[in-house]
Amino acid sequence: MTSESNGHLVLKDVVIDFNGFRAVDGLNLNVSKGELRCLIGPNGAGKTTALDMICGKAKPTAGVISFEGTVLNTLEEHAIARCGIGRKFQVPSVFKELTVLENLDVARCKQTGIRYNILRFSSGADREDLEKLAELVGLEDHLDTPAGYLSHGQTQWLEFALLLAQDPELILMDEPTAGMTTQETKKTADLFTRLKGRHTLIVVEHDMGFVKEIGETISVMHQGRLLAEGSVSEIEQNQEVRVAYLGSGGISGA
Amino acid sequence: MSSRTKRQIIVYAIVCLGFLLVPTFIDDAFILNKYSRYLALGILAIALSLSWGYTGILNLGQAASFGLGSYCMAMALKLRTVPVHTGAEGLPDFMVWNNVESLPWFWQPFHSLSLALILGIAIPVVFSMLLGWFIFRGRVTGVYVAIITLAVLVVVNLLIIDQQRFTGGFNGITDLAQLEVFGLTFDAYGSSSYYLIAGALTVCLFTAFAITKSKVGLILQAVRDHENRVRYFGYDVAHYKIFALSVSAGIAGVGGMLYTIVMEFASPTFLSVPLSLSVVIWVAVGGRASLLGAALGAIIVTGMQGALSESETFLETWSLIMGFAFVLVVLFLPKGLAGAVEAIYERVFGGEKKIEEPDSKPTTSLPKRSAEAGGAE
Repeated sequence: MTSESNGHLVLKDVVIDFNGFRAVDGLNLNVSKGELRCLIGPNGAGKTTALDMICGKAKPTAGVISFEGTVLNTLEEHAIARCGIGRKFQVPSVFKELTVLENLDVARCKQTGIRYNILRFSSGADREDLEKLAELVGLEDHLDTPAGYLSHGQTQWLEFALLLAQDPELILMDEPTAGMTTQETKKTADLFTRLKGRHTLIVVEHDMGFVKEIGETISVMHQGRLLAEGSVSEIEQNQEVRVAYLGSGGISGA
Repeated sequence: MSSRTKRQIIVYAIVCLGFLLVPTFIDDAFILNKYSRYLALGILAIALSLSWGYTGILNLGQAASFGLGSYCMAMALKLRTVPVHTGAEGLPDFMVWNNVESLPWFWQPFHSLSLALILGIAIPVVFSMLLGWFIFRGRVTGVYVAIITLAVLVVVNLLIIDQQRFTGGFNGITDLAQLEVFGLTFDAYGSSSYYLIAGALTVCLFTAFAITKSKVGLILQAVRDHENRVRYFGYDVAHYKIFALSVSAGIAGVGGMLYTIVMEFASPTFLSVPLSLSVVIWVAVGGRASLLGAALGAIIVTGMQGALSESETFLETWSLIMGFAFVLVVLFLPKGLAGAVEAIYERVFGGEKKIEEPDSKPTTSLPKRSAEAGGAE
């Protein structure tokens, strides 16, 4: 492990204890700037909990989580978000009664204070920017549709657009392709490749085809710990990983 | 500015203008006083629409802010009464009866009318900020917010009744002077008071409207829809909720001050549980997601209540009829009267629009709310 000071995102010996159950138990992770990191592992391995701790939804019991030198452990969610960390949840989380355009306006959050925002009324120039974003994810015909009326797939795309509007340095994604068609998954993979480099991405995913398509470095978690880390082929050949996934056909068969 | 916003501004302005024109048609002092009272309660409804309809905070203690405002005004006017109503050294009459020897310190600032007007807004605002700080820093949400605010209302109410020596207890503060500003006297039964209240309602309505149309308003609605998601964009949700609660309290305070002017007294019933719950009914009937709808809801419901309870035929049954009307609205108009007006508008003018644009792209069969559509809100 590299030391905390020079890392982009560093998790060091992170533990979370839910009344005796250690969902994450001594996790070490080091993600460098601009990297696209896939986080895989069997159910209950602690992947989502790891993301929860990075974005502040859950507080680690022990260990250190730092981003660009700032320790995140005790910060509130909004303070962590202001450091440049964005999150996409597994369950679609959009503002159902607001229109697509209004959703995107909320997501554009470079200024978060009340004093600044009370005097801001949406202008034409703002609208143009947001329309471009909506076009990028194919929602240009639904700008004034309340988000609650969108289909499941469209909601997922709106969430991607929200992250693009937020423009965080580090994006945490929890199963982005869950419930998507093959075609949509392909489109998502394209989007990720485009995001790579400009943003740092951590993606929790079960779809191995998708992981192979986008993944550079894969981290495998098992029982709250890091089991293995490496390229797709390294991971596929790793004996421990095969065992963790109950042997069958390696991770591809999981 | 979207055309929906423009249309809303026009509708809001027409209704406010309508309120302001009422005295030119009615010169019966009693009726004008009654209408002034309804408008003051309309301001209270606007306050609840802002916190409940836009931010999702069901504040069942809204009457506390209203009552604090009304007591501030009553204290100022009490100190201005002619000596016949006051005891030795300008002491209010009820204090003399209760053997209070000198004016307590918290009555002193109300010698100054301008200070009293500021305090009538500031006290509810600061009170709500403190309350909001405890509730929202502790991340209390949903029904628990309603329970806490209701409990706080009961405490404030009991406190005022209990401190009879300083507050007049159950009787409240009565025998008030008339408000005089810049040589203008606001007689409760004159058109001047009516204009004052209609003007204040207009200002409150448009201030609240501007807030809901700003980005802060958008974020408040996002908080209502999905509070946790808002946090992960970096917005401090507690700050925004405290802001909404405080602004709403300030508006309610204004309503309370004006209510004292038309009623010519302040009473513990102004911050009672029944009034606080009635506000919820008015706002639900009018449409909680519409500021104007909420105000009209208050005016219509209290107006009907007044008319029914005064007529001989319904003397016994008027509360039954009101209850039945409320059940009907909740069952068939979940978005209140404002929602119904909007739906009708959409059906009438939304259809026309399609004919105008035959080449609009066929997209999906998803139900689509046109941004153009929208009546009262």
